[in-house]
Amino acid sequence: MAQAQADRAFRYATLTPAALFLVALGVLPVLNLVAMSFYTIVWKNAAADWQKAGLANYAAIPGDPLFSAGLWNTVVFALASVVIQMILAFFLAYWCSRVRMGRTLYRTVLILPLLVPGIVVGAIWKLFLNPEFGFLGQMLGVVGLDPIDWLGEAQTALFAVVMVDVWHWTPFCFLLLLAGIEGLPRDVYEAASIDGARPWQELLWITLPMMLPTILVTAVFRFVVAFKVFDEVYLLTGGGPGTATQVISYTIYQRFFTEDRAGFGSAISVSVIFLVCLMLVLALAARGRLQGRPA
Amino acid sequence: MPTHFIGRRLATAGLAATALNVVARPGFAQAKLPTLSIVINNSPWFDGFKSVVDQYEKETGNKVELDVNPFGGSLEKQRSSVRSAKGQYDILIMNSSWFAEMYFGGFCEAITDVDPSFKLDPGIYTCDDTCFFDPASKTMTAQGKLYSMPVNPNIPLLYYRGDLYKQRGLTVPKTFDELLANAKALHKPPQIYGIAQRGARGVAAVSYDFYPYLYGFGGGLFRDQKAGDYTVLLGNDKGHAAMDYYMKLFREAGHPKAASFDQAEVLQAVATGKAAHAIAVIAAWPQVDDPSKSAVVDKMELAPPPSLPGLPTGPALGHWLAGISKNVPDDHKRAAVAFFRWFQTADAQIFYTRAGGVPVHKAALEHPMGQERKYRWMKPMAEALPHAINPFRFPESPEVVAILELGLNRVIAGETMAAAGIDTMTDQILKLMTEKGYRTGRG
Repeated sequence: MAQAQADRAFRYATLTPAALFLVALGVLPVLNLVAMSFYTIVWKNAAADWQKAGLANYAAIPGDPLFSAGLWNTVVFALASVVIQMILAFFLAYWCSRVRMGRTLYRTVLILPLLVPGIVVGAIWKLFLNPEFGFLGQMLGVVGLDPIDWLGEAQTALFAVVMVDVWHWTPFCFLLLLAGIEGLPRDVYEAASIDGARPWQELLWITLPMMLPTILVTAVFRFVVAFKVFDEVYLLTGGGPGTATQVISYTIYQRFFTEDRAGFGSAISVSVIFLVCLMLVLALAARGRLQGRPA
Repeated sequence: MPTHFIGRRLATAGLAATALNVVARPGFAQAKLPTLSIVINNSPWFDGFKSVVDQYEKETGNKVELDVNPFGGSLEKQRSSVRSAKGQYDILIMNSSWFAEMYFGGFCEAITDVDPSFKLDPGIYTCDDTCFFDPASKTMTAQGKLYSMPVNPNIPLLYYRGDLYKQRGLTVPKTFDELLANAKALHKPPQIYGIAQRGARGVAAVSYDFYPYLYGFGGGLFRDQKAGDYTVLLGNDKGHAAMDYYMKLFREAGHPKAASFDQAEVLQAVATGKAAHAIAVIAAWPQVDDPSKSAVVDKMELAPPPSLPGLPTGPALGHWLAGISKNVPDDHKRAAVAFFRWFQTADAQIFYTRAGGVPVHKAALEHPMGQERKYRWMKPMAEALPHAINPFRFPESPEVVAILELGLNRVIAGETMAAAGIDTMTDQILKLMTEKGYRTGRG
């Protein structure tokens, strides 16, 4: 008994500094952000003057045209890119798990886009999609079509950014799903094979159901990351034309940094954190249901 | 004995005078000056500034470090530096859209507070007196203290294809009607577009492109900022007329991608011969006449931006000022003043001009080199500069610019109609100015 108590005390004593460090790094900045969202911050005599704003910053959010456009576009962007990525990644992973020759090569090639830094992704695609001298425009010219200004037209800009995101992030989903597929129990497939199941039946009735939790976790993870998209929009379109590619992170950047509205920017940030947390809770609850147990 | 006494006094006085004279001499190499740190943006005029800094180092032996950033990145780094206990940069190269924030926030040290003996050379163009500031009255007039050194009186000019004008027998447009007619005459898409407009949304992109039209129509953003009258004029008849004209020019002779054109794309269209006209900053000129970067070398000409008949040209100042950070050590502040003392000399300014910079000294602007073909921008620049207008004199200007950037870009992108766009922007600016406590209204 005394030994157990001593062990517990030792555990607390050794873990407390790390826990405090984590709190200091992770929680305090968020608390600071929340506090800031109730103030308007102005600079006087080289010092910050925090003026109480109550809920005014939050009340102003619905009327902000960049917030509403940003939220809508973010949801559309995240849904479109994640759905496309998951479908592509699943079939690539399924195919890669079945090939015998050159598997390592395929896997390496398929994950290459993930290794490209965001700034390079922006440069590559800005050049590639340029209507005047971009590769895509020139290819369209070869077949007699007019070049399309993918990033400059309101009708195509968001779609183009989604495609760039798909190119960049599909490998991430592919890796997770491939690990999931390769971890599935082989005896189930052997039993199905003995029962005469065809490959498409194995896919539909064995692989997909068993992969569902992995698919869900990957999709949720990707959705959360896609919801925070910033670099692709910043580098490719700057949120335009008009508000066609305005996303919520870019709105925060503009309000918080460009316009220096720290209080209002914080209020939008807190709202977005709340939304992301809400999505996570819902997704975890759904996962719990799929696995037949509460989240 | 008295002779000896007088001799010692004279000798002491002589030594002191010599020391003062040497210290006050422009370009004096003060061996103990620390390395000067300057944060600057990577705009088209940067190469000229870099050359002049190199020359300063060569002449004086003093060292300068330049931290070069994109336009918006420079502002963010400046904010971060001035708001910390110890500043990272001695000199802030501030744009017209944010220098007020630095003055009002108390982040800049008056040059004359660092060195009371410093005098601004009378030949220096004071950029609508924005280099002066009175912290008590919050005004920018020549009665205030010298808070910054002008480094680039950047204004937009009309770039036009002189070779095509000659071929077609066109005359240089002075009015908006003439500009529209000429742009339409040369508009042959997709080979060449009548005009390339900078319609993208940025830190200061489409709004800066729109100001010469707004001012050229006799309109404005506010009634009289110097007098503290912030009545919003954007939504009046002149503002609407300017917007209508801007869109007419876009529809009838403009580059169709204007909604996604920032400065780089406009210059690219000009330099590749795809645009017959553009209203662009004078600081971009070296790129247009550089054989390694341009297909229209010696073909482009410049003129003051057009206006309505009877009204003066109305370019907006997009100028750059160099301020001294308050939160840096005193010896760094003195090093900054030493640089300014050298930079404002006529010789340095002429060197700056030859290196591709846009000078702030009358001696350079009126130098005989203006007769040379290479410097053909100097005459229209000198004509337009006296009419240049500084759009903002208050620290919340980035918020107003953001409203204009979004609103104007939405109009050009077709998300909203011109009239509705102007009215929405006016309402938003009015609301903002009211919330910030300025004397405002709708004018």
